[in-house]
Amino acid sequence: MSEASADHAALEVVDLHKSFGDVEVIRGVSMSAHKGDVISILGASGSGKSTFLRCINLLEIPNAGDVFVAGEKILMHTSKSGRYEPEDIHQVERLRARLGMVFQSFNLWSHMTVIENVIEAPVHVLKIPKAEAIEQAEVLLNKVGILERKDYYPAQLSGGQMQRVAIARGLAMNPEVMLFDEPTSALDPELVGEVLKVMRDLAEEGRTMLVVTHEMGFARDVSSEVVFLHEGRVEEQGEPTQMFKNPNSDRFRKFLSRTMQ
Amino acid sequence: MGDSIVQFLETWSPIDIVLIAQNFDRFLWGALTTLELTIISLVVGGILSIPLAIIRAGNNPFLNAPVWAFTYLFRGTPLLVQTYLIYYGLGQFEWIRETFLWGPVLSQAWYCALIAFSLNTAAYTTELLRGSIVNTSQGEVEAAKACGFSSWMRMRRIVLPSAFRRALPAYSNEVIFMLHGSVVASTITIQDLLGVGRWLNGRYYLAYEGFITAAVLYFIIVLAVSRGFRFWEKHWLQHLYPREALEVKPTKGAASFRI
Repeated sequence: MSEASADHAALEVVDLHKSFGDVEVIRGVSMSAHKGDVISILGASGSGKSTFLRCINLLEIPNAGDVFVAGEKILMHTSKSGRYEPEDIHQVERLRARLGMVFQSFNLWSHMTVIENVIEAPVHVLKIPKAEAIEQAEVLLNKVGILERKDYYPAQLSGGQMQRVAIARGLAMNPEVMLFDEPTSALDPELVGEVLKVMRDLAEEGRTMLVVTHEMGFARDVSSEVVFLHEGRVEEQGEPTQMFKNPNSDRFRKFLSRTMQ
Repeated sequence: MGDSIVQFLETWSPIDIVLIAQNFDRFLWGALTTLELTIISLVVGGILSIPLAIIRAGNNPFLNAPVWAFTYLFRGTPLLVQTYLIYYGLGQFEWIRETFLWGPVLSQAWYCALIAFSLNTAAYTTELLRGSIVNTSQGEVEAAKACGFSSWMRMRRIVLPSAFRRALPAYSNEVIFMLHGSVVASTITIQDLLGVGRWLNGRYYLAYEGFITAAVLYFIIVLAVSRGFRFWEKHWLQHLYPREALEVKPTKGAASFRI
């Protein structure tokens, strides 16, 4: 199984569609991330980029399309009432555990300390012995530079610190792919740098990452691929230096001139 | 010396303290009964309320409707009426009198009070907890989903621990209301704290002696309860407060400066 998955993409999304009521937000997006890829997903607000990311681990249920995690397809079927839905919730839970997610608003568990946040899922989902999980969590917290705050509660941290804890929490599951949903958008400008630095380090380590972001510098300098979404479709996609220098699409050119002054 | 105090009190005290002292052990037994009734009801009602609150917070109409009806009924009628219905009412049904439960349980005032109190506090606590569960941060629930938690594990590890903590301040009110509500027991022959006060009044026609003593003892119990909750809140809700507030440093320098 693991050998077979070696030649599969770490994550593959095929022709994903998602509507909210009558509004079609994602209109057939495909994407694949191989091991070590860092894909930045750009787009104006309302372009569907966050929704796309949330469809990958089924926080939103797509209306059509397939998601493969390390070659394993998330089984979907159409229910009697005509809804497209997961066939087996246990499979979804198992595959979610292989995708780390970092949210715009951190979403740390507020009643748990930093270290408790990081060991919670390894202990209760992956069933790793607690002592081992703590050891591993301390390594990760050290890596994101917040080990000395391990007994603090989230409310006692700054936004940048919370987001770094959230990244450590995601990494603690040793995921196939890390999904970042606008990880710096809720931060004060002076705190953005510390989070981006952690993400940059992860990219250099060879982590597979999908990053929905407004940080053009990160997209250009760190990612291996940039995808520009417009109205739920991939408008342009490619190698960042090339794309930023010579955008093919008019919309991406305009988007760039708006966001990079 | 002792005699002169007694004499002084008998002559000058507006209430008969000697009589209270003579019957004080009765009051303590009454307080014990009150505490027993309150604590057992709170434990039983509390345990009942957890699954009921989960049902109320969910969206299964077949489970939700009966639980809603239960809480609506028990919160919509006075505790005294509920207790009377169980104590006086159930005995009117012959088939109930014929069940094995009648002799040891349903014909006993003690158990009737316990059943009424438990159901009553279960109803209030259910709604309290439901609100707390519903108000759990959606983002925190999503984070648990994204980590691969099953819905049951999300409830057990994330939603309930967080909801219990947030419900704690409101629950301390429910505990005090239940303690005060337990006076209803004294109307169905139980010698709880108020029951002893009523007995003293009935026997000596001394209202103040009986009722003030009961009131003072209730007050002391409430004081202890609210102290206890303040302590628990400090422990269980510490995640809501800034760290400095928990590590209060003595400001010796400032104090000595003023002197």
